[in-house]
Amino acid sequence: MPKATVNNQVIEFDASEQLNCIQAAKKIGFEVPHYCWHPELSVVASCRMCLVEVGDTKPDGTVVMQPKLVPGCQTPVKEGTVVLADSPKVKAAQAATLEYLLLNHPLDCPTCDQAGECGLQDYSYKYGRGYSRLQEPKNQKPDKDHIGEQITLFTDRCIMCTRCVRFTREISGTAELFVTHRGTKEEIDVFPGEPCDNKLAGNVVDLCPVGALCSKDFLYEQRVWWLNSAKSVCPNCSTGCSITVDQNEDVVYRLKPRENPQAQGHFMCDEGRFGWKYQQREDRLAYPEQREAGRVVSYGWDDILPALRKQLQSTKGDRIGALLSPWMTVEEAYLLASFLTEISEHVRLAVAPAAIVGSDDRYPKDFRGQPLEPTKFTIRAEKAPNARGVDAVLKHFAKSPLTMSDLLAQASSGKLDALYLVGGDPNGWITAQQADAVKKVPLVVVQDILPSAVSPLAQYLLPGGTFAERDGVFVNHAGLAQEIHRAVRCPEGARPDGRILWDLSGRPGLFNAAQLRKEIAAQIPALAALHAGKLGDCGVWLSEGKTPSPPVTHLAGANR
Amino acid sequence: MPEISQNLFEIIVTFLTITLVVNAILGICSYLIMLERKLSAWMQDRVGPNRTGPWGLLQPIADGAKFLLKEEVIPDHCNKVLFVIAPTISVFTTLLAFAIVPYGPVGEMPIEWLRFIIAPNVDIGMVFIFAVTSLAVYGIILGGWASNNKYSALGSLRASAQVVSYEIPLGLSVVGIALLAGTLNLEKIMAQQATAGFWGWNFWLQPLACLIFFTSALAESNRLPFDLSECEQELVGGFHTEYSALKFGLFFLGEYTHVITSAFLLVILFFGGWQLPWIATPESSFALAWLVKMLVLMTKVLLVIVVVMLLRWTIPRFRFDQLMGLAWKVLIPLSIANMVAVMFVRQFNWNPWWLPAISLALFIAAGVIGATTTRSEISRRPLATAKLASAH
Amino acid sequence: MINQSTDVTWVEEPEIGFWEATFLPAIISGIKTTLGHVGNGKTVTQQYPEVKPNLPLHYRGIHRLNRDEQGRVKCVACMLCATACPANCIHIEAAAAPPEWPDRDKFPATFVLDELRCIYCGMCEEACPVDAIELTHIYDMTGETRESLNLNRERLLEIYDQTKDNPRDPIRTRRGKLGPAAEFVDLPAVGPATAVGVAERSAKTSSPGVIRPMGPDPNK
Repeated sequence: MPKATVNNQVIEFDASEQLNCIQAAKKIGFEVPHYCWHPELSVVASCRMCLVEVGDTKPDGTVVMQPKLVPGCQTPVKEGTVVLADSPKVKAAQAATLEYLLLNHPLDCPTCDQAGECGLQDYSYKYGRGYSRLQEPKNQKPDKDHIGEQITLFTDRCIMCTRCVRFTREISGTAELFVTHRGTKEEIDVFPGEPCDNKLAGNVVDLCPVGALCSKDFLYEQRVWWLNSAKSVCPNCSTGCSITVDQNEDVVYRLKPRENPQAQGHFMCDEGRFGWKYQQREDRLAYPEQREAGRVVSYGWDDILPALRKQLQSTKGDRIGALLSPWMTVEEAYLLASFLTEISEHVRLAVAPAAIVGSDDRYPKDFRGQPLEPTKFTIRAEKAPNARGVDAVLKHFAKSPLTMSDLLAQASSGKLDALYLVGGDPNGWITAQQADAVKKVPLVVVQDILPSAVSPLAQYLLPGGTFAERDGVFVNHAGLAQEIHRAVRCPEGARPDGRILWDLSGRPGLFNAAQLRKEIAAQIPALAALHAGKLGDCGVWLSEGKTPSPPVTHLAGANR
Repeated sequence: MPEISQNLFEIIVTFLTITLVVNAILGICSYLIMLERKLSAWMQDRVGPNRTGPWGLLQPIADGAKFLLKEEVIPDHCNKVLFVIAPTISVFTTLLAFAIVPYGPVGEMPIEWLRFIIAPNVDIGMVFIFAVTSLAVYGIILGGWASNNKYSALGSLRASAQVVSYEIPLGLSVVGIALLAGTLNLEKIMAQQATAGFWGWNFWLQPLACLIFFTSALAESNRLPFDLSECEQELVGGFHTEYSALKFGLFFLGEYTHVITSAFLLVILFFGGWQLPWIATPESSFALAWLVKMLVLMTKVLLVIVVVMLLRWTIPRFRFDQLMGLAWKVLIPLSIANMVAVMFVRQFNWNPWWLPAISLALFIAAGVIGATTTRSEISRRPLATAKLASAH
Repeated sequence: MINQSTDVTWVEEPEIGFWEATFLPAIISGIKTTLGHVGNGKTVTQQYPEVKPNLPLHYRGIHRLNRDEQGRVKCVACMLCATACPANCIHIEAAAAPPEWPDRDKFPATFVLDELRCIYCGMCEEACPVDAIELTHIYDMTGETRESLNLNRERLLEIYDQTKDNPRDPIRTRRGKLGPAAEFVDLPAVGPATAVGVAERSAKTSSPGVIRPMGPDPNK
């Protein structure tokens, strides 16, 4: 294995790794500051923040250093390379670079949304000199809030790293952003009438190391140091992008992508990024209701759950139907299926089909909108987070799971005395026509987050939680199981689905997803990979040694 | 039926006197509180109450109105009957004790039935007073017990131990007086001193007994520095933590009446009552002599009360073990020795002027013993040995 | 760390002699002290409503929100005061500045300060980068409800209008706009706008805690 030296420490690496100096330094845990370099983007070496001293070991063992500092991002590390990233020369260069970057950067950190997670702030503290010698007035460039529907640009804060420009060219392929003018007059801009509104546009805000590109949705909402992050998974399609849910005092403010090479890489789409607003909708189901003849008789969980359990247990097994949702976590599907099959083996279990919207949306695209190879990001057509996980649970408990239409047909023909419907899809999961079929069933239980066509028909209405309010596991399109974590509490009166189902089953103690996962792994061979309980930040593959599967366009038929 | 009408007359007069005296005491009490607040303020370079009326003179009335109008809180967890009874016992006993305290030159009024005492000619006077005032501790004990609060209970426990302990030196210290006077009747004791003149005051014969009596009386009335049953810092108020409004006020009334009674006793027993050379002697026969004599007595009492108030801001509160040590190791032996000395003097008809000499000797002996025992105690403390070791 | 013998100060227990054991001299000298105070006629009490207290210059009373030269609220809604506040009594909702304010990005749409929760530590004043929030000498504000002491933006601005001409509550800033920190090689200390005489200072000698003007005054 080739060896190189970073800051007088020897590192070993694989020849196929193709490291640059920044990555090599990361191997010894040393951070070389950088702005323009990003692992997913091409190298331009324009910010000059990662300047390092580089040398070579000659065959006789002497080390020859290059006289000039070189950009670490652009310099490959090979056998015998010597990198010095903390020498006085390097530090002086970093301080000079920062002073230069700050020449025209306004000191409006107090009003800047990026303050607190700003690359310029952090590096100024770590490597900068803390004051400027500039006597002349700073360049004042006009703010541009026309960059995109969701994006605004504070032009004077920009340090021209061009990450955003390269992102639109290389990842989304839409190339809306470009650099206009030259020298100190350089500005990021869009072509007139061509705003940056592609489905990945939100990522340029994350990519921006300073507060130049800001999200209009999050603008001035919160200071970032107040936000608490929970690691989670975007539920809006089966890609299952790893994200963080940022909240303060039980209010979600934004979602940000979290790097996960197994799931999606570094980015997420705007559908997911802004697609969580239903979590704050006014009309969310807020209180559990038990109705008799259309009149609410109880709003209390403590009355409703035991009553429901009793009523279900006294119903004949093969006359109970249950419709699971691909928006449930594995744990919730398991709790419901095991509770019902304990009543009788003959309960009729079905799973609702995941909504399919169009076809998979692949990036980068060419100027005609056609996807280019290699695919760098895919927005899946399957708009549900956990179709595979729920499927695996269902196949274990029911030898032949029904489809949703079969189940509803049985309901409308009067073969069912009880029907447990789990919703969770904020875009609607049941039509008014389908809801008519339910009217024949004497006991209808609806567990959902938003009102739907069946919620007025339910004898028991159980308000559940959104992805940000629950703990559990989602299995994405390729069989990657990732944990979601509770970021905020449910609205008053609602409860996370896992807790509802745990209490409904009459299990002792509290719902603990990690603990339950061990039980599931022992019970269901298909989910044995969950045996560790805690799955780590990047998740685990359900099938051993599996590499990311080719994108699944459409999963129709057999199991739904 | 002259006898019946005579008795009826007696009853009416007694009732009138009682009403007069009790009301006077209540009024005096409230103004004594005012005096105490003002004195406290002056001692601390403050102004004191000065907002209500001229110079704050209506402050006691405002305080009284406040006590009456505030919400009466009776906690749920307490014993309600005892809780209500406790403060009334406290006031009742101290007021009852005042029944036989002469507050002027008894029998010198021009009108026969107008006299300076509620119940004249009680021959067991001192015994009655000690018997009744020591009942006052029941108020404190019951109050602390009925409150069902650990701080109140601790306060009342301390109070009971303290009162029981100080009862002994208080009683023993006046045995000497009773032996010298040959009577327990307060009027007679006062009259004897008045006849004997300035140097006939019992204080000159019994200075040690006077000191012991004064100290014990302070402890009996729960005044500083002996207010361990209600110390705020340790017990959040002690026995009256749970009390509010009028009931709280009654406790304080009881305490102040106790102070007044004690001051009267001190003046009557040791400082010659209404007697003052040249101004108020048994021979003074001018028209309003009775009034002057009463004023002299009152002035003496007021002086004693002021000293009590001064002591409040002068001496810090005793620790409980110090309190008990003072009673059992110092006051009780001293008062017994003093009593024995008086017995010797009476039995062998020695010159009574031996008594102050004996008092002085006892006092010196107590001081010497105290100094030596404290010194040996200090040398036995671990801190001192550690210091000695480290000095090497 | 083991205590060195030099670290320990031994306090001698006083010798108890004859007179000390009798308590009497101590009581008499104590009474002398108390009586002395009764007779000296001095009082330290101030007759408050008639006589106003003479507050020190650094007294911290209720807050105000300063205005800038154009009379707009100076606060830029950076929420550093809310972050610094140990009592969590400041609640700000920020919004983009109206288009008539081209030089401003952000302003406080609502600014609510709970004066009852506040502990008057002055951290907000220290944290403010634009010297928008300041503590005044007003110490006697009262209200009939809790809500009435949740001062909003307008009331805090009113307090500024009331107090800005009071020499005790100078606008303690020379920094008008955001971000001139970069203009100095050596950051000047911010002194009070009105001169404070040496005699008026609570600490007569200059110490690290005393604000004193440093370097050339940029206004001159």
